[in-house]
Amino acid sequence: MTNAVEFSNVSRHFGLIKAVDGVDLAIAEGSFFAMLGPSGSGKTTCLRLISGFEKPTGGQIRIFGEDVSNTPPHLRNVNTVFQDYALFPHMNVRDNVAYGLMVKGMGRVARHAKAEEMLALVKLDAYGDRKPAQLSGGQRQRVALARALVNEPRVLLLDEPLGALDLKLREAMQDELKALQHRLGLTFVFVTHDQHEALSMADHLAVFNDGKIAQIGTPQDIYDRPATRFVADFVGSSNVLPPALTRALGGPEAWASLRPEATRLATTGPVRGRVTALRYLGSGTRVVLDANGTEIAALVPSGQPVPAEGETTAIAFEPSALHLMAGA
Amino acid sequence: MTAPAILPARGVSDRLTGVFWRRPNVLLALLGSLAALLLQSFYSIDEFSGVVKQEFTLKTYAELFRPQNLDIILRTLVMAAVVTMACAVLAFPIAYFAARYARGPWKAAFYLGVMLPLWSSYLVKVYAWKLILAKEGILGWAADGTGTSFIINGILSVPGLEGSSLSTSPFGTFLVFVYVWLPYMILPMQASLERVPTSMLEASADLGATRSQTFRSVILPLALPGVIAGSIFTFSLTHIIPQIVGDSARFIGLAVYQQQGTAGNIPLAAAFAVVPILIMLVYLALAKRAGAFDAL
Repeated sequence: MTNAVEFSNVSRHFGLIKAVDGVDLAIAEGSFFAMLGPSGSGKTTCLRLISGFEKPTGGQIRIFGEDVSNTPPHLRNVNTVFQDYALFPHMNVRDNVAYGLMVKGMGRVARHAKAEEMLALVKLDAYGDRKPAQLSGGQRQRVALARALVNEPRVLLLDEPLGALDLKLREAMQDELKALQHRLGLTFVFVTHDQHEALSMADHLAVFNDGKIAQIGTPQDIYDRPATRFVADFVGSSNVLPPALTRALGGPEAWASLRPEATRLATTGPVRGRVTALRYLGSGTRVVLDANGTEIAALVPSGQPVPAEGETTAIAFEPSALHLMAGA
Repeated sequence: MTAPAILPARGVSDRLTGVFWRRPNVLLALLGSLAALLLQSFYSIDEFSGVVKQEFTLKTYAELFRPQNLDIILRTLVMAAVVTMACAVLAFPIAYFAARYARGPWKAAFYLGVMLPLWSSYLVKVYAWKLILAKEGILGWAADGTGTSFIINGILSVPGLEGSSLSTSPFGTFLVFVYVWLPYMILPMQASLERVPTSMLEASADLGATRSQTFRSVILPLALPGVIAGSIFTFSLTHIIPQIVGDSARFIGLAVYQQQGTAGNIPLAAAFAVVPILIMLVYLALAKRAGAFDAL
């Protein structure tokens, strides 16, 4: 099976700034792929390279096996849901959704019928006559989705699709996007800086840092086995152990990560320290120890005794929970 | 009766704002002059004694339909329409460039370039144009030197634009009108174009629109409120320009001036003054029905 999107050694430099620097990437057809990273890490530029709004300064981009490095946006079988939705304020919802068909020259009746079909897909059947300004944030998001899907793209790109929504709506939309992707069987590629969103929605994700991909894999891979310190730091709330401490714990002299939920408090253990902070999380309490200058967090499930701040305690864990990482 | 002020009033303008806020009917005083104008237009003048008869009549409005008066109204309407279109066509690329591409010092240069002419006296500018357009003026001189006088002569031989030189041709009046009103078209246009985010243009391209389709379906409708706002100004054609540059054919502004001054026919002057107001109201209503303000 050919990949939906393939980058080979793709770069996009703006003068001296290397927004994207030698990225290799393969997105399988039908997958829900996330590009995760802090702002300025190159994830959005990568999305724009797929959509065609940016041209690579080096390397090759293929969409379904076809080299599109110099193909303009409208000739790619790809559509985008923009971060600010970019709905046309002077058109009603139906005309917004039908826009892609209108510019192709489809007749009014046919394109409106298709637009209504798309609106039904995002559960906005009754909203065709409204103006975007009369919709809530979540509804605008759906209109943007319907508008991008009307041209039947094979790849749908979503730029921070849920960034502007409040928490509850965001969670509902996450489920809905996932369901929609499943139903349509399309390839979804979305950009986010929210690791929870990336982990819960994507079936594969790439973590970006400084214009390069730090790690690529399934959410489990990324979360359980971060490849670099950056990934461990950025994704989730893993402890990052310096080489000396790893060795003191019986491992080789290398950076390692240790997830708080894989640890337990004990009277004796390899890591001892004073409790410096406690944070109640509902499902448990995060206990932060100061072990010879390194902060290490443990998660104590609710119902178990929690030490007081200033007390000295130890952390124990299974040796297999210690995950070694590359130097960076 | 009035709620206590939450913030202390500072300066005259704050206090004035406060006065209008507490007593909105004071604003009526500003509209009073307009009401007086409207009232005057329903009076008539006794043609024998020249005294204004303060009785309600539509006689004065009927006078507007006399051939020589209708001529003035039609001339004004045509000139305003042509000036508006020319201003819109000229202003668009300038406003578009300023809104989309000009940054930093270029933006400052844009504002300075557009606004600087507004700082000098209107009369000075009109007289300057009279000299530029005169037969011995720089334009004629340059045309002679480059052998392109046939263009000017061609314009001057078009029926309706005849004149001994550009400065005595209606075409000269048109040029000066365009020059004077251009900034009032550029600025609102630029403001409305500035509010169109780049992502909207990208969305249009992403959905398959060509550049000209994006222009027609997205940029133009979104810039339209600015065009309309700019064109309102062009209708308020003043009487000074056609007196100085052109063939001295009368426009509404000049007619108002002469009717209330030289002729002492204040009712007819008032009736003339109501015409552009009516035209504007009809124009705005049509624009609204055509959806020109949908982007607001």
